[in-house]
Amino acid sequence: MQSNGLRLTQIGSSDFLLEPSRSLDIQNQGALLELIISKLQELRGKRLYYDLSEQVLIDPVYYAWLNTLAVALYTINVTTVCIHMQPTAAYALAQNMLVAPKFETAIDIAAWRKSS
Amino acid sequence: MTKKQPPPATPKHSEKLTALFNLTVGNISAALEAPGKHFFGGNSHLMDEDEIADLSIEVMSLITALLKSADPTDKDSSELDALTVFFSSLSQKMMMRGGHVETVARYTQALQHALIDALEKDSNITFSQSRSVLLYLTGVFNELIMAVFHAYLEEKERALHAQDVQLRENATPITEIWDGVLTLPIIGTLDSSRTMLVMEALLSRIAKDHVHSVVMDLTGVKNIDSQVSHHLIQIVRAVQLMGSEAIITGIQPEIARALVSLGIDLRDVTTRSTLSDGLKEAFQRMGIYVNSKKD
Repeated sequence: MQSNGLRLTQIGSSDFLLEPSRSLDIQNQGALLELIISKLQELRGKRLYYDLSEQVLIDPVYYAWLNTLAVALYTINVTTVCIHMQPTAAYALAQNMLVAPKFETAIDIAAWRKSS
Repeated sequence: MTKKQPPPATPKHSEKLTALFNLTVGNISAALEAPGKHFFGGNSHLMDEDEIADLSIEVMSLITALLKSADPTDKDSSELDALTVFFSSLSQKMMMRGGHVETVARYTQALQHALIDALEKDSNITFSQSRSVLLYLTGVFNELIMAVFHAYLEEKERALHAQDVQLRENATPITEIWDGVLTLPIIGTLDSSRTMLVMEALLSRIAKDHVHSVVMDLTGVKNIDSQVSHHLIQIVRAVQLMGSEAIITGIQPEIARALVSLGIDLRDVTTRSTLSDGLKEAFQRMGIYVNSKKD
């Protein structure tokens, strides 16, 4: 699936990789959530890997979007794992973060699979 | 090209000073070599003979340009600026070669006397007996000595800054103790700039080496305040956001008490009493168990 600045790829029986591009408009969160949830439900997804490799900086708005997505996916029994967070993004986020993230983090998919 | 107008003969410009400004300076570079040989040549080994000869020619041409400028008394003139920049870089060069700022300052003073002698011989005018000429040249050479000391101070500041950076880097050694396991012993105080350095190095390392666990050892931290604890939490959060495990070890009783009184909650963070326990925890999470051969 590829639309609205994001690409969702099935990478296992129940694992999905979400690759957002720079054109992803997170202002339209409702529509984005509906799109992702309906696709994951249709294909019986259990885990969503959210690729942050293109996200050099994560501001409070983007952080709120990640938390909203994780909470929404939790309601359909899907775990959100953010992967490939950039050092600059982690640094900036650690300075401004007021609440603990609702999502899991891993270096990459292999590291997550190994540790879980 | 406009012909240079000699400066008007004002009370500031005595007869001999005007004569100095109108003087067509001959080749006096050889006469200016003596101070260079004395201070930079010989046993000091700061310059070889060719360099001293080049230096004298350069100094002569810059001084001639200043004397021939539209207003040699103008302290903002480009000619005086060129001369001070030259002495500034000479000072830097000599310090890089192991010379001392005092040597360059003494060279500059000796050059002033050599210049007056050389100009007198070249023109047969007794400049050394003119108060205004001596005052003018002293003013110029004082500017040059100032430039020499300024360059020295800049160089010292640069060296101190570089040493400071080096010390900070050495104070936070990040060591890969096992594939995917980093140790970070923290000694002393974590201020904002040091936290930035530690985070920058640590996060880059996590991304580059796909680090599984980071064991931060606080055995060397003897006291903690709210700012330091805040920085510590920031490092832990950033490590976790990157997807690595953060394990804090070696929290001394007084540090534990201080953390509690500061209201710092470490329940989200894995802690172990010693560095060895922290390493065992990191290994276990990777499925590695270290046993004695007898077992």
